[in-house]
Amino acid sequence: MKEIDARGLACPAPVLQAKAALQEENPQAVKIVVDNAASQQNVQRFLESQGFQTVLEQKDGDYVIVGQCVSLTADQPREPAIDQNEKKKIMVMCATDRIGFGDDALGLKLMVSFLRTLKEMGDELWRLVFVNNGVKLTIAGSQVIDDLRHYEKEGLKILVCGTCLDHFKLLEQKQVGETTNMLDIVTAIQLADKVVSI
Amino acid sequence: MPPGDLDRALCGLIFPSDENVIVGLERADDAGVYQVSNDLALIQTVDFFTPIVDDPYWFGQIAAANALSDVYAMGGTPKTAMNLVAFPVKQMDLSILRQIIQGGLDKLKEAEVVLIGGHSIEDREIKYGLSVTGFIHPAKVLTKKNLRCKDRLLLTKPLGAGIVNTAIKAEMASARLTAQITHLMATLNRDAARVLSAFDVSACTDVTGFGFLGHLAEMVSGSGMSARIFSGQVPVIAEALEFAAMGLIPAGAYQNRAFREPMISIAETVARDRQDVFFDPQTSGGLLMAVKAEQSDGLIAALKEAGVEAAAEVGEIVDDAQEKIWVV
Repeated sequence: MKEIDARGLACPAPVLQAKAALQEENPQAVKIVVDNAASQQNVQRFLESQGFQTVLEQKDGDYVIVGQCVSLTADQPREPAIDQNEKKKIMVMCATDRIGFGDDALGLKLMVSFLRTLKEMGDELWRLVFVNNGVKLTIAGSQVIDDLRHYEKEGLKILVCGTCLDHFKLLEQKQVGETTNMLDIVTAIQLADKVVSI
Repeated sequence: MPPGDLDRALCGLIFPSDENVIVGLERADDAGVYQVSNDLALIQTVDFFTPIVDDPYWFGQIAAANALSDVYAMGGTPKTAMNLVAFPVKQMDLSILRQIIQGGLDKLKEAEVVLIGGHSIEDREIKYGLSVTGFIHPAKVLTKKNLRCKDRLLLTKPLGAGIVNTAIKAEMASARLTAQITHLMATLNRDAARVLSAFDVSACTDVTGFGFLGHLAEMVSGSGMSARIFSGQVPVIAEALEFAAMGLIPAGAYQNRAFREPMISIAETVARDRQDVFFDPQTSGGLLMAVKAEQSDGLIAALKEAGVEAAAEVGEIVDDAQEKIWVV
């Protein structure tokens, strides 16, 4: 287990040390010691945002955070190599709510059809990401809400850009998927075997 | 200083006053107000801090905008200012100090305020700020108190500057975002204050170190009323939400939350990152004001027309004697 002593450091230094350690060493588990509550919460949040499950222990006024990698959102291949050979990981990124230019009604119809037909990829469909105008497909009233919910129930991870939702003032109206950030998106691109951008 | 610590330090001290003091220490308001004649009162305030941006010229501008803001938050017009300077004369080039002061001067010029003096000391760390004096009619003083039931709450700048500054320190913010936040912090609250003076505003403050909910808590406590915040309507710097999710949150935000936790109730549907932004300490943040409900739309339109583009209605005052803040 990678161990970091970040005592005596103020925010954001402990988070930066944790970030550097994850980037350089791809550890399965990491232990970070800090000496103030703000750093403790920040480090826990950072690890959780990177796909780690954390456990906190208080010891002589210090905070000991142990993180175990549980998901693939962080930027390292943690699955056994065999598994990766078995199936591809395809990431589909929709930056618009319609396909192509020209006729908008046709574009929307195509997008609906595209999203419904994606299921033919089977379990190789690994991430579905919505950014910019694409986020409008995830809000109340979208024609594909039921389809997306179905995908999500089947275990597909759907990521929706928080900046975009916020920009369109749609944060409260999102019906499906996890709100995400650019770091998660970039990490997913790095991990995917194939990225399809619409 | 963290909220609570200063209260403990001052607890039990006796501060003499006189009948001309309209707003004094006991009110813990944005600035002090002293009546000079029937139609004139002086507003006095002072604020200084360590550099929050790398560029000395912009640091000077932001420090001046921040110091002037307390006068605007009271409804007054700043007139004169004095510099407060701490500088490591032996370790640093004097041209840096010159740029800081130039930044402050340019901001004062924009605000039509004259610099009439100052004081400097040698210190290990740079600190800069100003003491500002302004004028106001004694009957028009706007404090944090006097909230009325059904008033609408308006905020004039987006939140998240503290978190973005933390991300800048971590070298994770883009140059574009750094420029954007610097400009935001250096923007005077003058135009917002000028616009609100024509409306039926009952209370006003500026959002700074205690964060949005911390400063709202100051308005609500003692009012006999409560506030409801519509979290989705509060203007927020989008990137601040992303940085908050990654744990790039200044320690002050956690202190602000812990200090005010007992009087704040946040619905589970409000994302954690957004909650953090609501407690994020701001530097030179926007004005937070309570306006008569019927005038809210008109005031927002007038603010936007005056260039205060982020202005938004963020909540309302409700008839609930518990003095709580409900965030929904």
